[in-house]
Amino acid sequence: MSERLTQSEIPLKPVYTPADVAGDYASRLGDPGAYPYTRGRRPAGGDGGGWIQHELSGEGSAARSSEQFRYLIAHGATGVDVIGDTPTMAWLDPDHPAARHAIGTQGVSVCHLGDYRELYAGLPLETITVSHSLPAPFAIAGLYLTARERGVDPARVRGSTIQVPFYCEDCSYASHMPFALRLRLAADSIEFAAREMPKFHAFLEDTYYISDGGLDAVEEMALGFVEIRYIVRELLRRGVPIDSFAPRIAILVNCRMDCFEEIAKIRATRRIFARMMRDEFGARDPRSLAVNVTSHTSGLTLTAQQPVNNIVRGAVQALTLALAGVQAIEISAFDEAFRTPSPEAHLIALRTQQTIQLETNVSQVADPLGGSYYVEALTDEIERRITELVARIETKGDPAALCDGGWFRTLFQNAMERYARQVRDGRLRKVGVNVHRMAEEDDTLLRGVAERKFEPCRERVEELGAMRRARDAARVRAALVEVRRVAAAKTGSLMAPLVAAFAAGATMGEITGVMRMGYGVPYDPLGHLEAPA
Amino acid sequence: MRPLRILIGTLGLDQHEVGAIAVARQLRDAGMEVVYLGRFNLPPAIVKAAVDEAVDVIGLSCHSWEYLYYLDELTGLLRARGLDIPIVLGGSVITGADARALAARGVAAAFGPTTGVEEIPEAIRRLVVARG
Repeated sequence: MSERLTQSEIPLKPVYTPADVAGDYASRLGDPGAYPYTRGRRPAGGDGGGWIQHELSGEGSAARSSEQFRYLIAHGATGVDVIGDTPTMAWLDPDHPAARHAIGTQGVSVCHLGDYRELYAGLPLETITVSHSLPAPFAIAGLYLTARERGVDPARVRGSTIQVPFYCEDCSYASHMPFALRLRLAADSIEFAAREMPKFHAFLEDTYYISDGGLDAVEEMALGFVEIRYIVRELLRRGVPIDSFAPRIAILVNCRMDCFEEIAKIRATRRIFARMMRDEFGARDPRSLAVNVTSHTSGLTLTAQQPVNNIVRGAVQALTLALAGVQAIEISAFDEAFRTPSPEAHLIALRTQQTIQLETNVSQVADPLGGSYYVEALTDEIERRITELVARIETKGDPAALCDGGWFRTLFQNAMERYARQVRDGRLRKVGVNVHRMAEEDDTLLRGVAERKFEPCRERVEELGAMRRARDAARVRAALVEVRRVAAAKTGSLMAPLVAAFAAGATMGEITGVMRMGYGVPYDPLGHLEAPA
Repeated sequence: MRPLRILIGTLGLDQHEVGAIAVARQLRDAGMEVVYLGRFNLPPAIVKAAVDEAVDVIGLSCHSWEYLYYLDELTGLLRARGLDIPIVLGGSVITGADARALAARGVAAAFGPTTGVEEIPEAIRRLVVARG
């Protein structure tokens, strides 16, 4: 008999009994909506048993992406979740010489205020929640300015934006900004939103994207907590009261295939967060202690082989998340291994969520697995492992120095390699990959949809050129000078000059370029563009 | 016999580096020398590095469709300089149909997501041997 392990390699027993569950109910679990929030952030019945159902969108121009939103909403989506294309996620404009073949193929291309206006066109900003996987200060500036133009009080706007200062350079979305600038922008934009958009979660810790290269569930949350703790300390150092921003901290978690491990991870995360906020950071507002958990199902678990199986994986993962009690779910679509979601894949993912919510009754009762000997024992064990790894990382030194020194990069690379090895040697079983394989010529189901390609949105280059020529050049120049001045001063919020420059028609690439210069690094990290005169 | 030298990099703004790193490690473990160019490369930089480093093979990791558009520029630059360095592509977005079409566009080998990373070093060795 082989050893029983979770995907994080936590040893398991064949069965759990009352002897495996320690501690008393009130201190370790508490009712849903009560400290330490292990069983959920809201009181039972308070949220109607539901979650926000959205699907990751963004393709081509802002206008085309906005059509995607409307398509999903028309079919019952209750939120919008948008991601930028690779130029946007690199904080570059689409007319950058390295961007031309990547415009809009893996997300939406948005780089100036006009794009954000189009992106939100037709969306009821007073009621819908908009989640952004976009460069945070620009997503906040774009949403804030668009809301004001439309006569919507920014204080009523809901949604979130990911903050990724620690790990972005090492696992996918390099911004080519020094750590100090990345941290400053995160803190500035969280502070700005706490004041101007108090219902908006500007502090969304995205442990999904840091973990989907191969980190396990324990590493995922440990690295997430290291980042959260660092940003919280930075805000406290600035004198920002903890209860002014902590209620709007959210965590976007990953969900792989190990059902109970993921449920235990989410329950442990709520408990760790509550204790940390109360005991370490002195939060008093109950909303500061009860973290909002949102979720994406893992793209890494999906396979290019037999892509139809990915529909099943998405359904199992979404059920897992529903059982864990999260505030929002996004299912990585079945064609994820090939492309950003096709309309067919979007609809299947949305229908999967709807079927789980409306037909299974799983969300009728809060924390339905609470009290399970196994789930409680695993929750305790994962909590212990996450807390221990956070402590181990923090005693290694200043996390910022670890970040700059490449320590996390090595951790990511080792995790990727470990994952590849586990798949290769069959320790991590993947149907269609290392077990129950099928000849390529027989593997045809839904393959046509999954493999369909579309062209980059190259017309954006021409449109952006026209936009640049039509701007008030003197106003843009003055606004960029101010951004650079405040950046170079290394003190004071960058949000005011950034918002002003965005309002003046400056682009994300220009504003980011002059911020880089303020920190002594080149305007264009890839060395193709000159700084504007 | 000196070890094979292979350039590994990604094209354009393709940010996903998982595959490139995994393949680079696999090639090193198989005794090859890897010139790791990393991310954010355009064809001229790839050709320059290939020449400067005297590599035997150019290996590009593809997790976006950008390679489809950079490929002709890359093969054109190599041809213009009279260089006969085989190009090998690998990546999650390369379908079986893509791999067949790429052969006609001058790609020596293309590995899609159904290829195990561990198969790549031997395939590259065979390819270089076959070309003499």
